[in-house]
Amino acid sequence: MVTIELFGVPRLRAGRDEVVVEAASLGEALLALAAACPALAPSVVSGGRLSPYYLVAKNGLQLTADPGTPLVAGDTLVLLCAEAGG
Amino acid sequence: MICAHWGRYLRVDVGTGASAAVGLDPASLRAVLGGAGLGALLLLRETPPGFDPLGPEAVVVFAFGPLGGTPLTTSAKLAVVAKSPLTGRINDALTSSDFALSGKGTGFDALVVAGRAPVPSVVLVEEGRVTVAPCPELWGQGLALSAIEAQLGARYPGFDFAVVGTAGERAVRYAGLGNGGRHAGRGGLGAVLGSKRVKAVGVRGKRRAALADPARTLALARDLARRSIGPATEKYRELGTVANLATFNRLAALPTRNFQASTFEGAAALSGEQLKLTRERGRGSCAGCTIGCEHFYEVAPGQGTVKAEYENLFAFGPLCGIGDPAVVLAASRACDELGLDTISAGGTIAFAMECAERGLFPAGPLAEAARGLRFGDGERLLTLLDDIAHRRGPLGDLLAEGSRRAAARLGPPAPDFAPHVKGLEIPGYEPRALQTMALGFAVGSRGADHNRSGAYEADFSGKVDRLHAGPEAARHAVESEDRAAVMDALILCKFLRGALVDFFGECAAMLEATTGVPGDAAELRAAARRIVLLKRLFNEREGWTLAEDTLPARFFDEALPDGVARGTRLSREQLAAMIQAYHAERGLGPDGTVPAEARAALAAAVQLVGPVAICDARSDDDGGIR
Repeated sequence: MVTIELFGVPRLRAGRDEVVVEAASLGEALLALAAACPALAPSVVSGGRLSPYYLVAKNGLQLTADPGTPLVAGDTLVLLCAEAGG
Repeated sequence: MICAHWGRYLRVDVGTGASAAVGLDPASLRAVLGGAGLGALLLLRETPPGFDPLGPEAVVVFAFGPLGGTPLTTSAKLAVVAKSPLTGRINDALTSSDFALSGKGTGFDALVVAGRAPVPSVVLVEEGRVTVAPCPELWGQGLALSAIEAQLGARYPGFDFAVVGTAGERAVRYAGLGNGGRHAGRGGLGAVLGSKRVKAVGVRGKRRAALADPARTLALARDLARRSIGPATEKYRELGTVANLATFNRLAALPTRNFQASTFEGAAALSGEQLKLTRERGRGSCAGCTIGCEHFYEVAPGQGTVKAEYENLFAFGPLCGIGDPAVVLAASRACDELGLDTISAGGTIAFAMECAERGLFPAGPLAEAARGLRFGDGERLLTLLDDIAHRRGPLGDLLAEGSRRAAARLGPPAPDFAPHVKGLEIPGYEPRALQTMALGFAVGSRGADHNRSGAYEADFSGKVDRLHAGPEAARHAVESEDRAAVMDALILCKFLRGALVDFFGECAAMLEATTGVPGDAAELRAAARRIVLLKRLFNEREGWTLAEDTLPARFFDEALPDGVARGTRLSREQLAAMIQAYHAERGLGPDGTVPAEARAALAAAVQLVGPVAICDARSDDDGGIR
């Protein structure tokens, strides 16, 4: 299982902090996320891809939007807005 | 004359009451664009080398941009520029309010306030009239900035004001300037104006500079407004910058307890997501802005609301080890009322908390005043803010000097963990976990600065390894500085960055439509680099050396203790290599100085020194001064 942690607007839209899905790649995880949280489509995820304004940090470290990114059970995806201005 | 500019600025000497309209040659204006670029140029021109930033020879420049007063969204902004009493280097703070529109509406591209008034005064600038009016009754009254603005507004109807608060009156080195609920916050501009015994600058003007192509400007404005409310700015509209806090905590990039850690156990309660659900009571926007990133939160039941940003939350929350939102929001409001920069205030107090916990205050009045000070002490935080703004007591007076000077007074090892670059306290981006930003902080002409360098964008892009940066970071740092230089000169809000697809090309199109001078992306890039060099030139003149371009020892000597970045640190060699690469990318000498040929090119492009041409007061309709 892969845990997707939601932050910012996605958390507000989804109404939850995290979603646990079965996925072997980021693309699969995003498809599962959209199914679990329809409110995130299409503004955050669409067709197994992230909107250009979002990224995931795989296990909090590797920032990527590549749907081909491989995942293994126990991985965590931190879904965050790519805009970090403060 | 170039359209969208007036081709002149106003110089007011508050010591003599004299004022003059001074001509700006079109080539110089075009070369530095306006706004912060123009402010840097005028600061260089209007001051002698080595001047005291709190002396009468210092100036405060209020500079407007070519896009100001046009329908282009977020353009109601101004740059306030001076030599910082905190850093001794150039300081420009951008702020948004009706002051920008009214100020440019007086018929000047900039207002330069010089001298020192014999008594506390307010400077009033109208179309064709300047008045320096004594106002001793407003000085030293301890009024909140908003109350002062209200009193001035009642006394001088139709004016918009930039106001010095209690902290600025007392020359707190990080006192800001309030204007219409916004602040030119960083670097001590309130102290500079306060040192001139100027309580406020008021502007009242309705003039609009002619646009070269009004129809095209309007079309561009409509398109930009549409994009400004699209997905690129969704975060700012829906949550505001406070959205950063929980995310940064998860990525171990949230400075905590004076940068001793990068995750905070109280982050959830302070997160933007939680504040939205429990305390948000309204939203707002700057003058002329379609984004609307302002979010207002209830401090506590029955205690009113305050506008809060990520930097306020970070500085009074995790950085001071405080997890109670009511305290953090109250501290933010106190700074708004006293006229204190929240980042420097939080950074300096967090530093003091660590010093107290480590027993570094020397025995005597200071140690007595700091007795019991600890991270997490919200009550002491609020008391200290008031003490600092009033320079009350030995601790308030010391901390009013900022963390660098306080550390120098305390002696080793305090300077190793005083959280500043060049004297400016570090914003809420942990350099060890965001290492491209570490470079941006180190080389910033203003000091540790997240607005002149958005190098953190690279760290959050997935294009770099944010925990192991190398010389390739230089390219990102330069690109980020150049974009910021353009936005601060035009002036546009940086929250539009993501909405601009072809950044330099689109900015060039806006500039051409408004000014009428044909230009392209390459020309704008050249202007950006020119502006960055101008700032470095000023700093060189004022004594900058390469040794200043670094970070506190803590970031090299202590690894991050927790979170996903646990064990990460920077090395001195790593940062030095990044800085060398930055110099090469920027076209600087190996020692970071501006080379002779670059100086010559700059001098050919802009009028760097006086004397300057005094305008015929009546030569251009009613823009003269009497």
